[in-house]
Amino acid sequence: MTQPFLSIRNADKYFSVVKAVDGVSLDIRENEFFALLGASGSGKTTLLRMLAGFESLSGGDILIEGSSIAAMPPNQRPVNLMFQSYALFPHMTVAQNIAYGLEMEKLPKAEIKTRVDAILDVIQLGHLAKRKPEQLSGGQRQRVALARALVKRPKVLLLDEPLGALDKKLRSEMQLELKRLQHEFGITFIMVTHDQEEALVMADRIAIMRDGALLQVGSPKDIYEKPESKFAADFIGVMNFLHVKRTGEGFATPGGTPIATTHVSEGVGEGEAIAAVRPERLFLGDAGDNHVSGTVSDIAYHGLDLLVHVKTDLSDKPVIARMTADVADNHRPEIGQPIALSWFARDTHIFPA
Amino acid sequence: MTTDRRPLLLMTPALLWLTALMVIPCALILVLAFFRRGVYGGIEYTWTLENIALVFDPLYFRIFLKSAGIAGLSACIACVLGYAAAYAIAAMPRRRQPMLLFFAVLPFWSNYLVRTYAWIVLLNREGLIVNIARWLGYQGELPSMLYTEQAVIIGLVYNYLPFVILACYAPLSRMNAEVTEVSRDLGASAWTTFRRVTLPMTVPGIATGFVFVFVLSIGNFVTPALLGGGQFQMIGNLVYAQFITANDWPFGAALSMVLILIMLGLLMGQAVVADRAAGGKGRADD
Repeated sequence: MTQPFLSIRNADKYFSVVKAVDGVSLDIRENEFFALLGASGSGKTTLLRMLAGFESLSGGDILIEGSSIAAMPPNQRPVNLMFQSYALFPHMTVAQNIAYGLEMEKLPKAEIKTRVDAILDVIQLGHLAKRKPEQLSGGQRQRVALARALVKRPKVLLLDEPLGALDKKLRSEMQLELKRLQHEFGITFIMVTHDQEEALVMADRIAIMRDGALLQVGSPKDIYEKPESKFAADFIGVMNFLHVKRTGEGFATPGGTPIATTHVSEGVGEGEAIAAVRPERLFLGDAGDNHVSGTVSDIAYHGLDLLVHVKTDLSDKPVIARMTADVADNHRPEIGQPIALSWFARDTHIFPA
Repeated sequence: MTTDRRPLLLMTPALLWLTALMVIPCALILVLAFFRRGVYGGIEYTWTLENIALVFDPLYFRIFLKSAGIAGLSACIACVLGYAAAYAIAAMPRRRQPMLLFFAVLPFWSNYLVRTYAWIVLLNREGLIVNIARWLGYQGELPSMLYTEQAVIIGLVYNYLPFVILACYAPLSRMNAEVTEVSRDLGASAWTTFRRVTLPMTVPGIATGFVFVFVLSIGNFVTPALLGGGQFQMIGNLVYAQFITANDWPFGAALSMVLILIMLGLLMGQAVVADRAAGGKGRADD
């Protein structure tokens, strides 16, 4: 196997006695769009700042193309960071902000101008080149911050919650825009986000972080469909969890309903366990391997689809089933109505309790 | 439609106070400057421009220039020292900063005269500084430090330094740490980051500090009188002398008027700089 483009090896970070990053090892490929996903306090931003050089490593190493950057100050690393706050220089114009990093490279004036103009075209803000940051909208500032980092043509671009400050509609536009720019520039992107949907849409691969450690690394499809832990299953998307017990070969709810499955995680022993199934894997009727019936207790309308909450004897919490708009149109589920659902064994995951 | 009168009501005491103690005396001085001096002192109420012309007589105008030079140098030194101190305070952990600022302004709690007299003790021919130099083994003759221009500058810088620290601390403490980090990230050294990001962003604070020290120094008469001795005159001493010893109130008033105009001009310039900086911040949160 060829050497990885960027390699994080056993990286640790202590803040006095608190371990913020705990033995993280990760290989990231060239031109990959990689997402570090986690709740606040999971260590994802600390890890990003270690890559940028703003936090030193308490242990381990970081290599780019085989050579260590762990001891390099931030201004010498071939990486650039786009801050969550954008951190635009308020006393400089848009063009001056973007040119700043190139001036630090002591490039000829003519080349700086060419490159600044070119990237202004890419982000479509050429007409605002002479504005100050305070005269821009949030989305425009975000694009200037991005251009300022991209214009340096770093080997790796680090993005800290790049879309966090934008409103929802603009966010989904920029998700695709960022992906397009990443393709166009052929630069490795590493993005920190707490928004699982954003990670699923944008990233080639996702690493879920918890308590400073990596929980699972994989493609969005793997992470979503083959979660390796209850935490990962819960963190990404919506998931139904049922308490189950091992019964000889299989599993059953405390009420005795058997639960058929083909995915049993490591560490599931005798006794209690947790079964998990995605709402969209539940369907009306009894064609599946696992069956449940109950009464509709709540309906959440999402436009594209409905989330139907069903009170059953499988667990205390209602079971949630996702119904597409056309299924819902045919069936018109109503609160209080009895409903029968089923799902397949292949869609059922068993995790340790 | 009725306008809310409460703000006006709240301002009235302060406005009356300022009118009685600022506006009226200034108006009196303005008028006085255009009257003639009486033969035996006092005022002769006939209009003249002689006093104003006399201010620009090389003999007196030289004192204006010298005062401006001393005030400017004092303000420069105070800005360098004060900015460095404010920078260090702003770099400390947040919870320690209020205490450090408290220490910075602590001298204001004692009397200006007492603090200035303390410098006489320090700078004296047999003062503390000379004694320390002797104790350290210096044998030669030491020049007298007291009653020199340097002594006046030391006194002015010392007395007004806390203003500069406070003025510079405000923008420094407000700076977003990520703005300096991003400069490092984009390839700038620590020094370039300071020169191109931190310094330009905190210029309004420096301007405020500079103008404060300059304005307070150029009209000062206590410090030059005590630390400069009799051999040295600043414009404040000249004004004092015209009113108290020479009994030439109209000329004293003319000198004061020119001085006040210089101060007003500077303070207004400073207000414009501060307003421009604040205007930028106000719009930044939209």
